[in-house]
Amino acid sequence: MTDDIAYWFSYLTNGKHLTWYASFQFTIFAALMGGALAVVFGLLGATLKNSRFLPLRLIGTFYSSIVRGVPDVLFFLFFPLAFEQGVEWLVASQICSPEAIAAQTAAWPPCKEANWFLGTTEYLILASVSLGLVYGAFATNVIHGALRSVPNGQLEAARAFGMSPGQVLWRIQIRQMWVYALPGLSNVWMLIVKATSLLSLLQIADIVLWADRLGAPNFLPAVGLVHEDWRWRYYLVLFVFYILVTWLSERAFEAIMRRAGKGILSEARV
Amino acid sequence: MHKSFGALEVLRGISFSAREGEVISLIGSSGSGKSTLLRCINMLEVPDGGDVLIDGEPIKLRGTGQNRHIADEAQIRRIRSELGMVFQSFNLWAHMTILENVMEAPLVVQGRQRAEVEAEARAMLDKVGIGSKTDAYPSQLSGGQQQRAAIARALCINPRVMLFDEPTSALDPELEVEVLRVIKVLADEGRSMVLVTHDMEFARSVSDKVIFLHHGQIEEEGTPDEVFGATKSARLKQFLNAASHS
Repeated sequence: MTDDIAYWFSYLTNGKHLTWYASFQFTIFAALMGGALAVVFGLLGATLKNSRFLPLRLIGTFYSSIVRGVPDVLFFLFFPLAFEQGVEWLVASQICSPEAIAAQTAAWPPCKEANWFLGTTEYLILASVSLGLVYGAFATNVIHGALRSVPNGQLEAARAFGMSPGQVLWRIQIRQMWVYALPGLSNVWMLIVKATSLLSLLQIADIVLWADRLGAPNFLPAVGLVHEDWRWRYYLVLFVFYILVTWLSERAFEAIMRRAGKGILSEARV
Repeated sequence: MHKSFGALEVLRGISFSAREGEVISLIGSSGSGKSTLLRCINMLEVPDGGDVLIDGEPIKLRGTGQNRHIADEAQIRRIRSELGMVFQSFNLWAHMTILENVMEAPLVVQGRQRAEVEAEARAMLDKVGIGSKTDAYPSQLSGGQQQRAAIARALCINPRVMLFDEPTSALDPELEVEVLRVIKVLADEGRSMVLVTHDMEFARSVSDKVIFLHHGQIEEEGTPDEVFGATKSARLKQFLNAASHS
């Protein structure tokens, strides 16, 4: 019995499993940073959409309608690659000598010096930015609607007391819009959490990739068959992880809502 | 002053002036343009024609007709920060406590010291009779209390003129009294005020000058005794008659 426990303990703490556990940080990082960026892009997009200047308004509208329609998987593949090659092209135009270009045998990049090697960190940041861009378009719509739900009389009062347009927006409108935006934003957040399962598309050894590898039938020449196809067990762990994240998110959003709704929601009595 | 909304002409050539310390009441039936006139004073509405002069300084506007806009943002912010406005529907900022509401403009717009502003805000709230409600949110107060908080908010910027836009129209009669009492105290202190009201008795008791508007023009103006006691215009007679029967 104790032997069994010791065996399973050492099995579940072997190098590969530890790497798997560590890879949860990628998922959590991508979700948190993607979520934060989505709110930033959402605020930016909504402000553009409300702008008095037609070109800015068009940019905001274009962003929220076009990007929402593009499948997230496609954007995930497109954006980091386009960004990488764009940077390489820019660097190449500055540093590649004609000799270096002539010496280059591969089709891309133009010369070896312009090659930009992306590691896990770089891919993780690009993935987070992709998440932020895609879901920021949804957040734009949510925040745009929420900004318009703030009672106009209060904005007028702020103007009447001499606040600048920026102060009215920041001190009154944005402070109050959270109550109206949070239900929508919590939906966007859950979509972002789900989308983190796409990280493996970007060469990031994330929790899904490791669950796949660890669960596959394991055969060692010295020991024989360690285990059969155990993937469903590993996937089950991911299920539980995502359900836990959902539960925690709901608690967190309730707490934020109570805070943001002070004075605005009737149940928030002091 | 002229002002139209689309094809609807709301102000059709109005001119009036107010001296320091004067209380002016604007009366008239709904749609007569009295609220619009008040809102033109601090440019919440920009008049299509005519100028607003505060202490001899004209508020700078550019463009013509309905495309007229505020020309100098800094100037209008400075002027607005010297005009305390009280709205019909209070318009307190819902996410701030009463005390924060009163302190907001002095701190953020006027850039004054927090300790000094807080002492003054508490004094103002005491003065309007809700000194015990400083930490409540607007939604937790009655309409009358909210409106008194809104008056304290306007007072705390040390305004040169107080602008009241139908301050009691959204209140039940029993709550109206407490607000009117506060406004009366301010009038007796010699504050300059412009007041849009439908309460003829009140207009008569606080005003130095009463202006009766009809279809965007001044139909009759004068001291309360002249306007209410020796009414000249037939329209005003009719209006006062209707008002006293409502």
